[in-house]
Amino acid sequence: MNRRTLHIAHLFPDLLNLYADRGNILTLTQRLRWRGFSVEVHEVTHRDVPRLSAYDLILLGGGSDREQGIVAEYLKGYKAELKAAIEDGLPVLAICGGYQLLGAYYQLPNGEKLPGLDILNMYTSAGVGLPRLIGNVAIETPDAGIVMGFENHGGRTVHEHEPLGKVLHGHGNDGASGFEGVRYHNVWGTYIHGPLLPKNPRLADVVLTTALQYAGVKEPLEPLDDELENQARQAFLKLRMPEVETSVPSL
Amino acid sequence: MFAIWAGKLVTLLLRMRGKDATSFPGKVALRISPKLLAWFGRRIERVIVVTGTNGKTTTTSLLASMIGHQEAIITNHKGANLAQGIATAFIQAASWTGKLRAKTAVLEVDEATFPTIAEALPIVVIVVTNIFRDQLDRYGELDTTVEKLFEAIRKTEACLVLNGDDPISRRLGLRSSRKTFYYGMARETARQDTRRQIRDGQFCLQCGHELRYDGFWYGQLGLYACPHCDFARPHPEFIGTYLGPTLRFSEEGLPDLTLDMPVEGLYNAYNVLAATAGARVVGLWSEHIHAGLANYVSPDGRMQSFQLDVPVKLNLIKNPTGCDSVVQAVTSDPAQKVVVIGINDLAADGKDVSWLWDADFEMLTDDPSIVRVITSGLRAHDMALRLKYGGLSSHVISVIADMDEALDAALSIASSQSLPIYILTTYTLLHPTVQTLTTKVGSHESTNVAYRTSVS
Repeated sequence: MNRRTLHIAHLFPDLLNLYADRGNILTLTQRLRWRGFSVEVHEVTHRDVPRLSAYDLILLGGGSDREQGIVAEYLKGYKAELKAAIEDGLPVLAICGGYQLLGAYYQLPNGEKLPGLDILNMYTSAGVGLPRLIGNVAIETPDAGIVMGFENHGGRTVHEHEPLGKVLHGHGNDGASGFEGVRYHNVWGTYIHGPLLPKNPRLADVVLTTALQYAGVKEPLEPLDDELENQARQAFLKLRMPEVETSVPSL
Repeated sequence: MFAIWAGKLVTLLLRMRGKDATSFPGKVALRISPKLLAWFGRRIERVIVVTGTNGKTTTTSLLASMIGHQEAIITNHKGANLAQGIATAFIQAASWTGKLRAKTAVLEVDEATFPTIAEALPIVVIVVTNIFRDQLDRYGELDTTVEKLFEAIRKTEACLVLNGDDPISRRLGLRSSRKTFYYGMARETARQDTRRQIRDGQFCLQCGHELRYDGFWYGQLGLYACPHCDFARPHPEFIGTYLGPTLRFSEEGLPDLTLDMPVEGLYNAYNVLAATAGARVVGLWSEHIHAGLANYVSPDGRMQSFQLDVPVKLNLIKNPTGCDSVVQAVTSDPAQKVVVIGINDLAADGKDVSWLWDADFEMLTDDPSIVRVITSGLRAHDMALRLKYGGLSSHVISVIADMDEALDAALSIASSQSLPIYILTTYTLLHPTVQTLTTKVGSHESTNVAYRTSVS
């Protein structure tokens, strides 16, 4: 049995932790531990030097505009390395602000452009006088079924890549395109939090499977008892997005 | 005038039907006369506002109790801190001819509402308890909350009473260029960091560098200084030393006061400190401060106790920092216990339940004396999931979405083993739970006539 330790890096938890990213880390680590894998989480603060070659999965979370500006500044020096790693298949889960950071820039309402990592053909603009896109959200994804949660973003994101999914309820990337998030190599970008992973165990397992493959671990993930997760999904849809529940009988 | 009559009539009708009349009369009156608050503003001499993220309701009640010992006051009770709640407070203090029966108002004001009412009232002092992360879906983000407060302050001529231990409040004070009085805990009582808790504003709000902390109280409250610029914790004018049952209150040139703490916990020590600092700034004597604390009646959901077959304690939770304080108080009781956690996601609770994952519920996992945790409310399953991933054994967790059924289940488990029950709920579950428990206390008393309950 190959029980190599999986290394997950949480980039800048000191700056980007606005939307309960701890819940995503907890979901990833618990779902590995419950299956007997060992896992190490590297909390890479802005003072540390990220060692991209040592990580099997990177999580980039969300922060306020001010904090995102600070992160963009710190990450500037690692831009080329991160881009090369992503092209090479490094799995990255980027949420809210972290998702926006993968693009060319994020334009604030005052017109100021916060430069991003420019890894994806993508940009985000807050627009002027536009409302924040807030509320419960559900999308249909090709490989992780219905993904559901909460969105709260001022930015409208436009990109040329595959989306993560099709909006069934809520706003998505820009409130107009009908799509949410991004899929590029082994990158998942999304505005969905709540947090994202606890109530979307299939997506969590897709991310973990990819990370294990990237780490060279061949073992498949054994199924877990997701009874409580599925009950939580059904209860949430029934309560807040009943039309999604009736349109998709099997979640 | 018609608006006041309408408000008073609505109050009477609601009370006749046994309903809570803390907001709706004001809503009706403001619909009729949107300028009603400004109208009252011209008829009151001074207004003292309490705002901030956590501890607003307790601090307002404490300060109202202190000032109320000296003179008649108007205050908005029960945390009704939006425009309609404030209007209701004035309507209920006005005669049918519109004459107010007090010259001073002590008002709890919601941060997001504050800019919309600041101009209307003669606000002389603004007390800010602290600025933490709260209900992101309503306020956008933390930075937005600070902007709202700043905007409100600019519309008044008030002086500020701020928490010097809170870097975000300190920033507010520096930016506002107002006469500012800081309160803070005694330096030597700060602790070294042990648990990983959510800290907002850990970066210098002036230059962006990480703040250096020489000690913490809780959340981001601590002894901070920026290594890069001049931003640092100020030396507070009002210093508190939390001694458990009492708080020593020191200010230069005056003898120390030993204040009896009417409510437990460090976060309440901050509330007592903030209220007393506010009382001093408006010129209150120690006699009124002591009497105010003695007469204080704890608002709903702040370690509110109900004596049934077993003792029940009810707490409001609404954001990670406040929740951590409550969970810490629960787990510091060494007795075996039953816990009920009720989570709703209506507008007043915050529609986004993400914050449950930022709260340190792992403290429950680490507490071996927890016999059962029942999750309840509209988002009962999300709470159960939080506990599952937090490492709590699935044998200990039950999901009972209906709150009344959850309470009955908790009582039946707790009574058979004589265990205390701790209930934690979000805002919209709090008042229904108070009503249910009050009814149960009533029927419990009638069956145990000899027994005297203590509902505080």
